[in-house]
Amino acid sequence: MNGPLPLSNPMAPRDERGMPVPLTESEHIAALKGKLLKDIQRSAYVYRVDCGGCNGCEIEIFAAITPVFDAERFGIKVVASPRHADILLFTGAVTRAMRMPALRAWQAAPDPKISVSYGACGCSGGIFHDLYCVWGGSDKIVPVDVYIPGCPPTPAATLYGFAMALGLLDQKLKGTHQIEGEADRAVVAHPAIALDVRVEIEREARRLAGYRAGRLIADEFLTLASETDLTLDECMKRRLSGEEDPRLAEILTRLWDIGAGVARG
Amino acid sequence: MLKLFKIIADAGEATAKYPFAPFPVSPGFRGKPELNAAQCIACAACTTACPANALTMGNDTADGTRTWQLNLGRCIFCGRCEEVCPTHAIVLTPEFELAVANKADLLQKATFRLQQCEQCGQPFAPAKEIGYVMDLLRQSGVAVDEARRAEFASCPACKRKATVTRDAVSQHLSQEAEQ
Amino acid sequence: MSVSEQTKVGQNYVDGLRERFGAAILETEWQTADQVTVTVKLGSLPDVVEWLYYQQGGWLSVLFGNDERPLNGHFAVYYVLSMEGLVKSWVVVRALVEEHRPEFPSVTPRVPAAVWGEREIRDMYGLVPVGLPDERRLVLPDDWPEDLHPLRKDAMAYNQRPAPTTDDETYTFVNEASGSTRDVPLGPLHITSDEPGHFRLFVDGEDIVDADYRMFYVHRGMEKLAETRMGYDEVTFLSDRVCGICGFTHSVAYSSAVENALGLAVPARAQAIRSVFLEVERLHSHLLNLGLASHFVGFDTGFMQFFRVREKAMTMAELLTGARKTYGMNLIGGVRRDIMKDERTRTLKLVAELRAETTQLIDMLLSTPNLRERTAGVGVLSKQVARDYSPVGPLVRASGFKRDVRDLHAYAGYGSLPFDVHTEDSCDVLGRVLVRAREFFDSLAIIEHALDNLPAGPVLLEGFHYQPHRFALGFAEAPRGEDIHWAMTGDNQKLYRWRCRAPTYANWPPLRYMLRGNTVSDAPLIVASIDPCYSCTDRVTLVDVKKRKSTTVPYKEIERYGRERKNSPLK
Repeated sequence: MNGPLPLSNPMAPRDERGMPVPLTESEHIAALKGKLLKDIQRSAYVYRVDCGGCNGCEIEIFAAITPVFDAERFGIKVVASPRHADILLFTGAVTRAMRMPALRAWQAAPDPKISVSYGACGCSGGIFHDLYCVWGGSDKIVPVDVYIPGCPPTPAATLYGFAMALGLLDQKLKGTHQIEGEADRAVVAHPAIALDVRVEIEREARRLAGYRAGRLIADEFLTLASETDLTLDECMKRRLSGEEDPRLAEILTRLWDIGAGVARG
Repeated sequence: MLKLFKIIADAGEATAKYPFAPFPVSPGFRGKPELNAAQCIACAACTTACPANALTMGNDTADGTRTWQLNLGRCIFCGRCEEVCPTHAIVLTPEFELAVANKADLLQKATFRLQQCEQCGQPFAPAKEIGYVMDLLRQSGVAVDEARRAEFASCPACKRKATVTRDAVSQHLSQEAEQ
Repeated sequence: MSVSEQTKVGQNYVDGLRERFGAAILETEWQTADQVTVTVKLGSLPDVVEWLYYQQGGWLSVLFGNDERPLNGHFAVYYVLSMEGLVKSWVVVRALVEEHRPEFPSVTPRVPAAVWGEREIRDMYGLVPVGLPDERRLVLPDDWPEDLHPLRKDAMAYNQRPAPTTDDETYTFVNEASGSTRDVPLGPLHITSDEPGHFRLFVDGEDIVDADYRMFYVHRGMEKLAETRMGYDEVTFLSDRVCGICGFTHSVAYSSAVENALGLAVPARAQAIRSVFLEVERLHSHLLNLGLASHFVGFDTGFMQFFRVREKAMTMAELLTGARKTYGMNLIGGVRRDIMKDERTRTLKLVAELRAETTQLIDMLLSTPNLRERTAGVGVLSKQVARDYSPVGPLVRASGFKRDVRDLHAYAGYGSLPFDVHTEDSCDVLGRVLVRAREFFDSLAIIEHALDNLPAGPVLLEGFHYQPHRFALGFAEAPRGEDIHWAMTGDNQKLYRWRCRAPTYANWPPLRYMLRGNTVSDAPLIVASIDPCYSCTDRVTLVDVKKRKSTTVPYKEIERYGRERKNSPLK
């Protein structure tokens, strides 16, 4: 169906099925790169290669070079051509149409160069990782030295990633593997409250305040209700008197209604 | 031009001190998801809800284990895992310094034991999930003591078989009684 | 959804169609009170669309195909018209295409706005628009196999990746100029911002005679993904990532498409919160574009100041949603976060600061002589071209048309929020800058008003059921024009079809007319003025067709030239 494949193109290597494989670096260049990272005592120039992202990453990179974050303080400068670059920043999940332009940009940058996968799409293809029109991340086509996760990474995360790429800051994140212990046991929340009541309170709180604030509010209510010596009505009257957030008062009152309904049977 | 100079003078020093000082984020900021494995029952609600497939789970039946994995390189930090988790085992933290040189460091894993069916010996559900279900039944007022654990530790297929056999036997008995 | 006779808005268009086209009108079905789908005979498609478009005040918002063979044995094509005459409503013209005769009459010769949509239908479904002169691919990449049409239900799995058929770019660019010209290709990589695109300017000396472009370097296959790997709620997060600037707007458009299809009553508080988030998105997007306008006229200090102030809008987004850009706040039926007192107070404080600082910045920008000099009369989108191509957003508003879906087809909480639809008659880059500046302050007022009047009650509707094969439109006004989505539910807890049209899709086709007659140094400014998810370039190749000679200069050169207008690289 596809006709003869141009397998011999050294700029865009393919495997025996005709699928793209990453370019590789020689040991010599890897050694040069190690030396560059160790001795870098000058500005580092960054060239962005958009491999088909949503622009979210591009704009956060933009934000990272503007006054509030000002990456140029550290000599990190975004440049206009890969020929000037020390660092190539690959964003996007690598769409089919951007494979060749991205490879050309990589080839155009002088060695030794540092390649950075930027954002969830760059690191692994992100939400698009297995789609028909992408290759699933920058390391599917070029060798990558540093991964900056995020969707998109914030400007602060970008500064951290640059500093790490240049060996100025240490990597904080480590792979982890927790193993279930013999005594591990998942704790049931608010065991003193009947399950159906707890679930109804938690659901209503989420409907009213969303998953995050709702969880906090439901927790507060259930803790109050299970720990008080007073009746629920007295307890809630006391809690609500002087409450300055009318919305919080509205939600707690609604939960109180539900609790009171249960109490009445 | 004067207007511009005034704006610049008014703005003063706009640059944040980061990375020389911590960078404060908003209270509800969605950063790195953190799993409290002790509280996790390996139910897979988060892996089903994850839009990006950053969360995955796989069973090793030979080993009798289930392994949960978060790929931070694929995570879109939407917080759906936190939203759907029935035991509050996963929350998004303010942590955003996640860059790595080694791709394997993006993987966060947790391994859980699977319960083997008391009847057929096949692993069928996370052991902790069974303990949690028993606790929930207690919370809803059903008396469940540890002695009944075997009942809960049977796989659905075996339970069905047991029910069918029991029904068949009782039907047979009732027919005999009629005669 | 059953719509009662009394509440139907747009019945006049249906009556008009029946009167005029009689037996060619096969079926009408109402999805919501103001959305009707009219199935017509395939042969009458161009006549019907043309009549609604030019005679009844219709604008073509989106068109798309659908593989309905599993449902009714046919392919279908849908042309969505936003009716903006006396009655504001949506009329969707649908026609069935036989499986064994995969072609349909092209509407483009009658309504030019259909051009991209019809090319896309050919790519994705292999249905041939008969009479469409442009036979090039639109969406699919050059290395994609012939005869593989991704959105056909039986064509392929969403994650099937055919080996690339070529490593070369094979796209041909069209030059409509009569005399000899030089080619100036721009892209696809670029320094400035945003997504890759490749466009080629055909020049005569310094003057642009024509322009053509190859977009869709970022085609990823989202629509197929939404129909396969994901459930309904997951797609809200996918639609957040259609665009990095106006993702939330897409998410609202998608969610409301499904909600409209199912007839769900989304709680009023959820709707109001959606409006707040939508306007927060407009704040940072408009500041971005105003910053870029400064940049492209060579005023980089202004650019930096706009970006400094813009960070306050980003802080606001993070405060309200937990993220600066991808809000991820929608579910089908409502939103995932509420706004409590503390967030409200801090947001209002940021609003006040943004108002004060941006007032100063815009005053400063407009009194910078260079801005007016470089933008007035540049990149003109004539009213006629605008009418023919259905562009959206500040682009069409600066050409004198009062098009804004917040006003025309109120959604979310906009029915009760204070704002004006700002227009300009200058049709140029300056007009677009002015429109955006005014809209920015309206957004601030909307946020304040909405926060002061948030309805009580829940932010999320739960407990509804998905019924199969129901469909409707959803829409939302992004900072650069309306996002419009069409969703059809499936029978497996997944979408059967999702069609998403970003504003830039509607704004690119008329760009060629806006570039014509301008100088090369104005090209980046004109492109930026449509606020595209946009493209400038990495390199500029100058091709002298007469001498058969080509030279390459860095993009930086053309951008520098755009700002300084000295030492032309063309000489």
